[in-house]
Amino acid sequence: MMFGALFFMYAGMRSHALMWPPPGVPHLPIALPAVNTAVLLASSGAIALGVKALRKGERRALSAWLGVAAALGATFLVLQVVVWRDVWAAGLQPSTGAYGSVFYGLTALHAAHVAAGLLVILLVLVRSLLGKYTEHNVMKVRLPAMFWHFVDAVWVLMFVSLYLL
Amino acid sequence: MEQHIHPEPKAFIWKYVFSIDHKVIARQFLWTGLMFLALGGTLAMMIRWQWAYPKTAVPVIGQLFLSQTGGAITPPTYTSIFTMHGLIMIFWAITPILIGAFGNFCIPLMIGARDMAFPKLNMYSFWAFFISAILVILSFTSQLGAASAGWTTYPPLSTNVGAPGWGQTYMALAIFVTGVSTIMGGINYIVTVIRYRAPGMTWFRMPLTVWGLWLTAILNVLFVPVLGSAALLLALDRLAGTHFFVAGAAVGIQGGDPMLFQHLFWIFGHPEVYILILPVWGIVGDILSFFARKPAFWYKGSVFAMIAVTVLSAVVYGHHMYQTGMAPLLGLGFEMLTLAISVPAVVLFVNWLNTIWKGSLRLEVPMLFALGMVFVFGAGGLTGLLLGTISTDIYLHDTMYVVGHFHLTMAAASFLGSFSALYFWFPKMYGKQMDQNMGKVHFWGSVVFITLVFGGQLVAGYSGQHRRLFDPYQYKYIAHLAPLNRWTSYAAFALGITQLIFVVNFIKSILMGKKAEQNPWQVSTLEWTHCASPPVYHNFDIVPTVVRGAHEFADPAVKKKFGRDYLDQVEPGLGAVGEESSDAMPEPEAIGAE
Amino acid sequence: MTARRLLRAVTGLATSAGAVLTASIAAAAPQPETGYGLPRDVSADGHRIDWLMGVTNIITGVLFLIMLGWILYAAIGHNAKRHVAVHDHGTSRRSIFIVLGISGSIFFVVDGNLFFNSTTDIEEVFHNFEKVEHDPTTIRVEINAHQWAWDTRIAGPDGKFNTKDDIVSLNDLRIPVDTPVIFEVASTDVLHAFNLPNFRAKVDAVPGQINRFWVQGKTVGEYEIGCAQHCGTNHYKMKGEITVLSKEDYARWADEASKNSARLFDENDKDAHWGWDWKGN
Repeated sequence: MMFGALFFMYAGMRSHALMWPPPGVPHLPIALPAVNTAVLLASSGAIALGVKALRKGERRALSAWLGVAAALGATFLVLQVVVWRDVWAAGLQPSTGAYGSVFYGLTALHAAHVAAGLLVILLVLVRSLLGKYTEHNVMKVRLPAMFWHFVDAVWVLMFVSLYLL
Repeated sequence: MEQHIHPEPKAFIWKYVFSIDHKVIARQFLWTGLMFLALGGTLAMMIRWQWAYPKTAVPVIGQLFLSQTGGAITPPTYTSIFTMHGLIMIFWAITPILIGAFGNFCIPLMIGARDMAFPKLNMYSFWAFFISAILVILSFTSQLGAASAGWTTYPPLSTNVGAPGWGQTYMALAIFVTGVSTIMGGINYIVTVIRYRAPGMTWFRMPLTVWGLWLTAILNVLFVPVLGSAALLLALDRLAGTHFFVAGAAVGIQGGDPMLFQHLFWIFGHPEVYILILPVWGIVGDILSFFARKPAFWYKGSVFAMIAVTVLSAVVYGHHMYQTGMAPLLGLGFEMLTLAISVPAVVLFVNWLNTIWKGSLRLEVPMLFALGMVFVFGAGGLTGLLLGTISTDIYLHDTMYVVGHFHLTMAAASFLGSFSALYFWFPKMYGKQMDQNMGKVHFWGSVVFITLVFGGQLVAGYSGQHRRLFDPYQYKYIAHLAPLNRWTSYAAFALGITQLIFVVNFIKSILMGKKAEQNPWQVSTLEWTHCASPPVYHNFDIVPTVVRGAHEFADPAVKKKFGRDYLDQVEPGLGAVGEESSDAMPEPEAIGAE
Repeated sequence: MTARRLLRAVTGLATSAGAVLTASIAAAAPQPETGYGLPRDVSADGHRIDWLMGVTNIITGVLFLIMLGWILYAAIGHNAKRHVAVHDHGTSRRSIFIVLGISGSIFFVVDGNLFFNSTTDIEEVFHNFEKVEHDPTTIRVEINAHQWAWDTRIAGPDGKFNTKDDIVSLNDLRIPVDTPVIFEVASTDVLHAFNLPNFRAKVDAVPGQINRFWVQGKTVGEYEIGCAQHCGTNHYKMKGEITVLSKEDYARWADEASKNSARLFDENDKDAHWGWDWKGN
């Protein structure tokens, strides 16, 4: 509902604006964010495969997939920071009116959720290496995975609505 | 699903500080909530002082906190006083008392569970709330004053442009953090009621209290995040230089939209008022039945009415924004839905009135407060009609009529409902009884002075007095209301003093109250019939199997067979099928089947 | 607010006041109200709101008394001391019918009356800008709200806003009696709300937006303008005066005031040119 409210806010801002993007603001890059979308989708895929592996009792495979998911998640954050830096240097800042506020606000709040999710995945990875998960307590890995998928889905919505539309 | 029995922790820190026991957490919320209730009440007294004796020194408080101005309230201080009064009462007083304390205490016990679904999450929820409380106190310490943009926090006034300084920022953050706490609690309540009801405790055998708290939790989980987003975006505007809500000359054409905040705020804000009243509706529905010794009239109708209000509450928020230049068609839509809420509200109300009619009323203290709640809510609800109607709202918007309306329905009703709950469950919480005579004095003082204070506000508002005015008498067309305001203030001071009776009673009873029996009120719900006063750590040695609803009173056949006028939710009863009350369902096939 | 602008406003005010005083008997400052209840209504259509509130109050007053009586009777007459409870779950068809019947009746009668009348009043009068925009006698006023006063602007003889002959004032608005007056309201800083209690009219002033409403005064005299949205420290004294003049007095005053404004017009004072092209229909 929080992201729902944020998208509602974005829709409101955009519908009231005479022009979107407003005149004079730098264009947003598409390449890196597109790569990031792929990165996050792959990360979701990795963690899903990890859950599937655990269901079959393959605990080492789980740890491997968790590691992949974490690495990809970290990659996302790094690339996101690169995008921010580039865009900032091109002249778009949070104080650049509604457009800047929306861009940084949405992506920053999303990134905060990615970071939180990443911490959880790392925690789950450590516990997995310690052998805490079996095919009988899969839910303990499924829940963090579902959060991760959610964060991924929000990103896809954001990528499409912020960068493409 | 049955929960395991865990051993009780021994060390002080795990037993009383970082406890995961819902009963301890409930008391933590209760104490914190009561302290903030006192703080919010004191702020209210300061507002009333200013209107009774404008620009004169406030006794005691003036000397302690307003020494720079000789003890008198100044216009900027005034704006902080009414802002903090509103915010504190809603988020740090009523919410922890009704939802934090009674939600936590009552839900597991009344449904036959040993604890909440997620006891550790429950503990985190309290400590997040505690952190938000610290942020509130910090707001008062800010050099430029505490938050001052009204509890509604509308930008641009609430941005750096209108309210510079840390005071407003602390409150934006405090709102966010308490929202996190509420969401955690809400998830816990929802899951607990779905998964951990005792065998045989079907949905329609649950006490109305649980229904009220459960529907509240659903609204909380859905809509507090929207408030959270509004608070977050405001915090970003204040701290990170964004322009979500900043508009006007400061930003030019690329600015944000202050109206956006109002939408986000009220999408949360309207459900919030139902969040604050649904627990009380549930509690009062049960208490009226218990103390009239009569079944809750059309129990299912009351449940459906509460569900209907819950659903409708999501789609009426625009009535707070009628005067903002909204398209008339949109206003019409909101108006229709707002008026439609009358229907379930009246159903609930008529059910209450019919529950007590031809009952056998025991006017004990919880019942007195419950009847008082019905009275003030009826009055307050009726005043809502003129506000929900667009044309009459043109005149009444932003007047004291609005203030009187929401104080009657939200403050007074929740206030009296909370005390009804407190006097009722005190023996179960603390194993002791409160002084009933002091309780009766507390009741009469409260209900009489509440009626005078908020009735006085209605009259002042109808006569044209606006909200949030440091000195209403600046306006010639309101200047003649000074005596009305002064007398209303006297009633308010009397209301405040009356609460001291409760404070003395509460503390005295905890320390040296008479020991309470297991079921002193002789009612049928599980916490009274199957738990000690107070309950053991794990609530139930053996989780009982439920066979009927919670309101089986007044059956002459039961009186004849058992010598008392009620059946509890577990005992076999009269034996033959068909003699059960009509709110009991047929026996489930297997234990635990829904 | 620049000192220059303040000087302009004060000079314009002094001149206009002088014109009115010499021309007719000026009413004293706004008359105080007495007693409790609605302030005097000097608008052509405010009575609709007053009527709707009055009727609803009577009905809800009766409902309130019934409720109170019911509770008291039950508390005393059906007290445990003298009454045994009846075993009724309220689930009989008759009971449910009665409950739904009462809810439905109140809804259709009370709520229905409110909804029907409010919608009619809004469509026919309060939101009927079609009628007044096309009325040749309509006066148009632009209101610029800011912390903590009301800038007002009436287009001069040229009929255009933000031009040399506009009648500009601070907190001192004058309109002719029995004439529709449309207000367009904006704000430069925070939310305000332009409130005319004696006309039963108000609308929010939102930065970045222009809101409008219209009234028609029917009684000559001086009344108050208030702010109906918390706007900061001095919200409580953000008041102004609206004077309803006879048509002749208004014409005389407007002529005088417009000439004064043109004389004092300063091209370089950008702050003073806050007006906007009339948004209209």
